[in-house]
Amino acid sequence: MKRCLIIGLMLCGMALAQGTVRIGWAGSPDTLNPGTAVLSEAFTLFDLVYDSLFNLELDGSIQPELVDTYEVSEDGTVWTFKLHEGAMFHDGEPLTAADVAFSLDYYKANEDFPFANGYTSYFDSIEAADDSTVLVTLSEAIPNMLSQLLYLYILPEHIWSSYPAGSAATEFENLEMIGSGPFKMTEYKQGEYVRLSANKDHYAKAPNIDEIVFQTFGSQDVLVQALRTGQVDMITEMPNTAVVSLRNDPNIELVIGAPLSPSVRDIIFNVTNSDTCPADDGICSGHPALLDLNVRQALAHATDKLQIIDVALLGLGTPGTGLIMDGMGEWFNSSLEDYVYDPEAANKLLDDAGYLDSNGDGVREMPDGSRDLSFRFYWPNDVIEAPRVAELLSQMWGDIGVKLELQALDPDALTSVCCPSFDFDIIMWGWSSDPDPGFMLSVLTSDEIPTGTSETGYSNPEYDELYAAQATELDPAKRQEIVWQMQAIMLRDLPYIIPYYQQQVQAFRTDRFSGWITDATKVALEDPSSLTQIEAIQ
Amino acid sequence: MTKLILRKLGWALLTIAFVLLLNFFLFRVMGDPTRLLKDPRLSQATIEAIRVRFGLDKPVINCFETLNPIKASLNACGVNPFNTQFAAYLSNLLKGDLGVSFHSQRPVAELLTERLWNTLLLIGAGQILAIIIGIILGLVAAWKARTVLDYSALVGSLTVWSLPTFWLGILLLFWGSNYLGLPLGGKETIGSGLTGLKRLGDIGTHLLLPTLTFTLVFIGEYMLIMRSTVLDVLSEDYILTAKAKGLSTFQILKDHALRNAMLPIVTIVALNLGFTVAGAIQIETVFSWPGLGLTIFEAVGRRDYPVLQGAFLLLAVSVVLANVIADLLYTFLDPRVRLA
Repeated sequence: MKRCLIIGLMLCGMALAQGTVRIGWAGSPDTLNPGTAVLSEAFTLFDLVYDSLFNLELDGSIQPELVDTYEVSEDGTVWTFKLHEGAMFHDGEPLTAADVAFSLDYYKANEDFPFANGYTSYFDSIEAADDSTVLVTLSEAIPNMLSQLLYLYILPEHIWSSYPAGSAATEFENLEMIGSGPFKMTEYKQGEYVRLSANKDHYAKAPNIDEIVFQTFGSQDVLVQALRTGQVDMITEMPNTAVVSLRNDPNIELVIGAPLSPSVRDIIFNVTNSDTCPADDGICSGHPALLDLNVRQALAHATDKLQIIDVALLGLGTPGTGLIMDGMGEWFNSSLEDYVYDPEAANKLLDDAGYLDSNGDGVREMPDGSRDLSFRFYWPNDVIEAPRVAELLSQMWGDIGVKLELQALDPDALTSVCCPSFDFDIIMWGWSSDPDPGFMLSVLTSDEIPTGTSETGYSNPEYDELYAAQATELDPAKRQEIVWQMQAIMLRDLPYIIPYYQQQVQAFRTDRFSGWITDATKVALEDPSSLTQIEAIQ
Repeated sequence: MTKLILRKLGWALLTIAFVLLLNFFLFRVMGDPTRLLKDPRLSQATIEAIRVRFGLDKPVINCFETLNPIKASLNACGVNPFNTQFAAYLSNLLKGDLGVSFHSQRPVAELLTERLWNTLLLIGAGQILAIIIGIILGLVAAWKARTVLDYSALVGSLTVWSLPTFWLGILLLFWGSNYLGLPLGGKETIGSGLTGLKRLGDIGTHLLLPTLTFTLVFIGEYMLIMRSTVLDVLSEDYILTAKAKGLSTFQILKDHALRNAMLPIVTIVALNLGFTVAGAIQIETVFSWPGLGLTIFEAVGRRDYPVLQGAFLLLAVSVVLANVIADLLYTFLDPRVRLA
């Protein structure tokens, strides 16, 4: 607080508690109930206040958290977890295997818990063998057991058992938020702020600081201003446009990298045909030219991904090849060679395939002359950079004689035209993902066409078989090989063009706390890894 | 007199009943909120379970499965009219239950009362300042008509009146935080542990910029109306008489001009309440002021119907009531209304 207004009602230069780190974000948690929460801000708090059996590290690997040692039976269905000694809940009760078994059972019993319930779908039975041993029996062996346990936070049985599964469980606000993690809940004002204090008795990672305050601000621009004026010490999000100016501030450091939950922007081609069109909901009005691989390849050659990243994201993205993001570590196939940006090759592909501009209006027609290569191009109106990307694509593809009719749609309207009705030509949308590649791979399987998860209507028996194979392959190396092969098929068949994988930008003040983790693969300064490690600068 | 009040109240009740109906249909046109849960981790069965929890699996109203214009269909006419979202809405309202927020799963009534006071504080401070300053400016400008003072007040008022509220707010926010060190958001310093007067001072610091924005945006209108009304009044014969009697300028303005010019101001203040809310939505969003406006803004983005319905009902009732009060105030300000 250098500049201060000295007027009667100002309390200028109010002393800041030295050990309090103030974090600014533009969102806020939806609820403190780990079962019903949806927003990532809520999960940020859960990670700080609760422990789970395993933790997702910033390098993308999965490491034991509450678990000390674990083993799995020969057939992969019985998992035995031995818990760490000394874990305590914030109210002083010890955390035992009974709490773990209770929590996993609880998530399984509540079918309308959005995420947690899904993670338990293969759990057959859970039992506490003794005070520190938990046995989980699966209905079938799965290759990604550990990633199912990342977000199943361990709840105190002595509190949650009074809220039995059903409406009592979903309506419980959990304002006290008793967990066993490195921070304790002290005060919560919904939509305004959250105060957490350090749990100095944590068995493994007691924080150095005393308190965290998360404050919600109106927009990302205001966040940048709050960091600049020193009203907060760290911001979890910011607009790409502020990067240059913050770089010049000597007291601020920027951190850029893959987000904790890796995300992908995808350009979706409607490739449904009369065989694959869903019987119930399908309208399948896609442009016939998009069924031709030559056309999709030409569009790929005409897409200058680097320019898109430069202009629309101000350089903060990496060019993409498939639905598996570069932030997914070993699952990302880094050996693939993308289609090079080469408008001439694109023109040649279209010429050779018979798509010529015979009436000289600058837009090519189908080989039989029936229609123009003019595509409806939709995007959701809640994606900030999308209009710029659409404009750029319209220019780039216009150069090879392909016309786009651009239109932004409300996400709800977009869902209606998208899938499973397939009433579009091209949509630009996106996904963000769990650490496990299973879901992202399922998006292109034939089984998902009628459910609405498949956005393209792409159907390839070879791909479907590989999908089934990776879902049951327990050897990580072998599974990785299959997953890589599936990405090669995606790129070869081009149901999507992937313009980029987004990057996360965060920033912190260098004059208040030291020890932020800035060199990991993933960027998450709000992760317990940073917040338990930082120290106040004297 | 009693008859007049009863008639006014009757109309007010009718208006509120109409708002109740409109309220229901208005929000359902936006579509199904569970559609926003497009997330790889969600299974179809889970989404279905969530829809059941909030009653979204039922048809909106007899004959209409949904009111989303793209998906609306007439195939649900056979359903029991009492097993619809509309029936549930009405019966809950009769019980005084505003429902549970889809987003935070908290009771709407609790959510709204928590934030109502903050908005009243902001609107109250902003409006009172705007009214007082606007009236004084208008009076002075009319008295000094066609002088530099009048023209600068006029141009100034027109300028701030035509500025977009959110834009003015953002400018003030950046200016105030940069040069005056004022806070960028919130209602008070979090965890400051302040009490009593010091805490009030802290809240005042946070309230300063939003109130300033509010005042600037509304000053123009009050000033312009005051000025033109007073100009009218000043040309009346009784003002000439007053001058001839040797009354001071202050007395003429206070006792003769102001009293007569109050009628249009009362009308505008009451009518403005609706716009005040629109202003509050923008200002609270810019300044992260935890009030009703911010709640509405957030709820729209999340399609949180119960919150929107509750907030709109609350606002509609207050605007209608404000107008009833304005009508009744006339009878005291202007004896002619009483006779009519």
